[in-house]
Amino acid sequence: MAEGIVIDLGIMFVAAGALLLVANHFRLPTVPFYIIAGLGIGLTGLIEQPDLLMLAQWGIAFLVFVFSIRLDLGDVQSVLREGEVAAMTQLIVVAPVAFVVGYAFGDLFGFDAPIRNAVYFSAAVTLSSTIVGAGLLETEIRDNLVHGRLASTIHFFDDLVAIGLLLVTSAAVITADLIAMSIGYGVVIILAGLLVYQHGFPLLVRAADGSDELVLMGSISILVAFLAAAELVGISMVVGAFAAGIGIRNDETQALAVANGIDSIRDFFVAIFFVTVGALVSIPTLEMGAIALALVALVIVVNPIVLMLAFVFEGYDTRTAFFAASGLNQVSEFSLIIAIQAVLVTETIAEPMFDAIILAAAVTMILTASISRNERRIYEAIVPRFFAEQRTDHVDRNSRTDEGLEDHVIVLGYGRQGRRVVKTLENLEHPYVVIENDPVIQTRLEAECQRYVFGDAMSTYPWEKSRVDAATLVISTADHRPVSEAVLALSDTSDADLVLRSDDTDEARALLEMGATYVVVPDILAGEQLFEVLEALLAGDRPPSSLKQDHLDTLSELERYGFSTLRERF
Amino acid sequence: MSQIALAADFALIIVVATVIGILVRQFGQPTIIAYIATGVILGPVVFDVVTDEGLVEVMAELGLGFLLFLLGMKMRFSDIRDILRPITNVAVGQTVLQTALAFLVALALGFGTQEIIVISLATVFGATPIIVKVLTDKDEITTLPGKIDVGVLIVQDIYLVVVLAMFSAENIDDGGEIARSLAVIFAMIAVIGVLSYASSRYLLPKLFRRIANNKDVFLIVAIAWGFLFIAVAESQFHGGIEIGAFLAGISLAQLPYSKELEDRITPITDFFILVFFATIGLQIEGGAPALFAHWWEAIVASLVLMIGNFWIMFYLIDREGFAVEPTFLASINMVQVSEFSLIVGALAIQQGYIGDEILGYLTLMALLTMTASTYIVANNHRIYQRVEPWFRRFGSDDDQDADLATYEDHAIAIGYDDITERALPLLDEHYDDVVVIDRKTEHVEDADAQAYDHVFGDFRHTEVRKAANLKGASFVLSSSVQREVNRALLDEVNEEALVFVEAERIDDARDLYDRGATYVIMSTHLTAEMLSEYVEQYVTDREGFDETITADLDRLRRSDREPATGMVGDGGEADG
Repeated sequence: MAEGIVIDLGIMFVAAGALLLVANHFRLPTVPFYIIAGLGIGLTGLIEQPDLLMLAQWGIAFLVFVFSIRLDLGDVQSVLREGEVAAMTQLIVVAPVAFVVGYAFGDLFGFDAPIRNAVYFSAAVTLSSTIVGAGLLETEIRDNLVHGRLASTIHFFDDLVAIGLLLVTSAAVITADLIAMSIGYGVVIILAGLLVYQHGFPLLVRAADGSDELVLMGSISILVAFLAAAELVGISMVVGAFAAGIGIRNDETQALAVANGIDSIRDFFVAIFFVTVGALVSIPTLEMGAIALALVALVIVVNPIVLMLAFVFEGYDTRTAFFAASGLNQVSEFSLIIAIQAVLVTETIAEPMFDAIILAAAVTMILTASISRNERRIYEAIVPRFFAEQRTDHVDRNSRTDEGLEDHVIVLGYGRQGRRVVKTLENLEHPYVVIENDPVIQTRLEAECQRYVFGDAMSTYPWEKSRVDAATLVISTADHRPVSEAVLALSDTSDADLVLRSDDTDEARALLEMGATYVVVPDILAGEQLFEVLEALLAGDRPPSSLKQDHLDTLSELERYGFSTLRERF
Repeated sequence: MSQIALAADFALIIVVATVIGILVRQFGQPTIIAYIATGVILGPVVFDVVTDEGLVEVMAELGLGFLLFLLGMKMRFSDIRDILRPITNVAVGQTVLQTALAFLVALALGFGTQEIIVISLATVFGATPIIVKVLTDKDEITTLPGKIDVGVLIVQDIYLVVVLAMFSAENIDDGGEIARSLAVIFAMIAVIGVLSYASSRYLLPKLFRRIANNKDVFLIVAIAWGFLFIAVAESQFHGGIEIGAFLAGISLAQLPYSKELEDRITPITDFFILVFFATIGLQIEGGAPALFAHWWEAIVASLVLMIGNFWIMFYLIDREGFAVEPTFLASINMVQVSEFSLIVGALAIQQGYIGDEILGYLTLMALLTMTASTYIVANNHRIYQRVEPWFRRFGSDDDQDADLATYEDHAIAIGYDDITERALPLLDEHYDDVVVIDRKTEHVEDADAQAYDHVFGDFRHTEVRKAANLKGASFVLSSSVQREVNRALLDEVNEEALVFVEAERIDDARDLYDRGATYVIMSTHLTAEMLSEYVEQYVTDREGFDETITADLDRLRRSDREPATGMVGDGGEADG
């Protein structure tokens, strides 16, 4: 009876809601707590409805749907541009190792399909979570710190791999023919999605004639149609959802309302999905515990180590490498989807393996949050011991500077602000050194800067190399507290004036207390200018049209200086 | 489960409903018609490919629940309290009089005794979902007529619970048993009501203050709160989903975060309520034959009841002393027969009081009146304008009236941060009202302290924009750097308004100017300019530099606001 299911849903949501309050209190991610809520419900045996599984699958569909709507072609390019070595290393090194371990377990515990189970195990170890990982890195990504960017490209890569895996494992029996057919269908469906993007969706928006509700329902109808198509040809519905998401455009005004709508609906079903997943876990056994332990160890320790080495090899400094790698140490929700598909569709996963993956997912997602809070301490304790000597060589090799520099200005960061400052200094023919650690900007550094040191501002060597003891002024354009504090610590070895940057007035005041000469707070500067402009406008001193024209003229000038940005992300 | 069967029934409903909805939209009709038509077409009457069982039924129930949850969120206790007494009078009177009218009509049309009783009990109810949905879409749900209708509907819902209890009872003749279960039900409703009120005053403000900053937690906890009431109520009595959801919603209505919540819950509601409307058509057992068995009686009865109901409501509401216009509007919104009649009918069939054709008759009446009234409600103002001269004779001097506070020619600031904060006092001098839209709970207090009006929420949400009356603003300042937000802003705002937006990239700035921005703030470029000026000064004129920064630092130290840990959209510039 429908009411019974509604009550069951009620229990699920109330449990989830209660646990979310806990998560919020400890500032932990929400997903693991959904799983825990499910675990609790499953153990008490309150809910036992197949219809709930159906709702959970809609959760999967919406999860992938929204993920794929947000996809940007630029993201694909960025992966190819950086992090490709690490991504490949993951697949070539970590995955096989995990596969072997998984197979060993399968053999040991006598699973029916040890190879497939090993694949599931390996997927769980290798792929990291977009929802949780990206959530934790939100600030870093927003501040465009290198390690945030790096981690998010790996996440993205992992998600694509996951979709491919889902496609391949959706057949109950794996033969070469079936795989080829699945891939074939998958490609066709994705192409159909691209077609919808080009023609179908704009048509929908026009037909809906301004009704947000219809565009929303139309988008969901597209999802439904693709899901049905995928089901029809016998491939995983995830691919259908993925293709449907590609078909939806998200770069128009209408998109705002539709995006909100789909987000809310997704949140509703996704909550059901994660709770259901947790509820599917049965009573713990020794086997499940062993597998889970191995999973957690591999995910928290081995995967990050391998990734970190790969990043260092690609030319990132150790700090960036470490922080990026530690943003990748959780089990991905796509692995959960792979596991669920294995349970519901193909019935090829052993129970202890399934339980272990779910458990490991919850554990790693919580652990990763606590680890990220103590990231710096862990870094300080472990890494420098292993990497000290090589790093100075690396810095030396990639820098171009003058040992005898004196009375110069050190500019930290070569973004828009750094470039502007450097241009001014060159016009004044004043000596300077730029410190920067992003490999992507390296070519630019070489081409445009007289002197630069390529290294991590949080270590001491780059500062030594840039002769901070003899400098008169250090300007930091990085809005990141740890960096600012590292700069302030330089006052022990140098008399230079320290100009920092912060987006936060409280933080700015604190930095001033700690000894900064000046702190640039962009919003305050903007606020000042706004005040002047507004005053003139409201008092009638300047007509709006002249305001606009003057500004447009200024912007053209800036462009001529080369300060407009294309698709520049930094 | 060998295949991931995505409930083909439910999926089919969505797709067909969307297609019909688009068609219907081309002709300018309300989408509800499309949804009801979907059910009729897909159900037993025409194609019979879909049933209302399983997932479809669940979604329909959820739809009703979410709709009433949303409805509750739009009401405040104070609103209800003011009109509680008149509403109760109207509702009670209406029930009695309409039952009598339906009784007479059924008698005149020649139905049997038991049938007459069932029909007259079933056709009393107004269609809550239709009225609520159409009025909400037109933004009239919180007007006085809207509130009157909602009040009457809620009282009717309670009455429905009573009727359902009667029909579900094992032995309809045992008055004592019925009385007992009714007493229990009323006690439960009272308890839940008290809980709702108490928690809205003591528990919820604290709870939500902690979580309102976290979007995901906020939504799910709110849904959990709704489900808590729903589950408790439904497990105790039939019809609990609706009443529980409504009371849960009301308890949340008092919070400043309710607009934001409304906006996030609405899409979920729309999604499920679509299925609900479709299920109306799906429930027509016996297909076309049963539906049309008493077709001419249905038409006659519908006409009589629609006209009769209107006058009954008009008379009753007018008696309570409301002005003519709200009385007219409130009455004309309620002229339909509700789908609840189908529920009552279905129960009656189960108990063997009536046959399929009577249910068909009830359904046909419901369909006719609902379709007609959807148009009527959608055009209620226009109809009133036509007949106003004739109705004015009903007006009298001591009529009450409601007025809604809206903003007009005001200034709006989107996002409360260092940039907007600087401009607000200036705006306050020039404009009568300054409204701040922001998504941080800390800023709620700051803005209140400064005596600016405040709307909590994300600018991307329609409800929030409506609450601030974006269309009527004379000045808008946006501190969001997100292209889509600013574009949407420039599209919606009226042409004479002054609009200041922010951008990070020069192309975006140009684009925004093209779309009508008065000025585009570019803090990154600005900062870069200023920074290089300072550097130049440092190198060439140290003393000047020292003076400049001392002035800046003084200003910095003087401001002591909460940090801008996040504004609407992102955190601003993203490079160094």
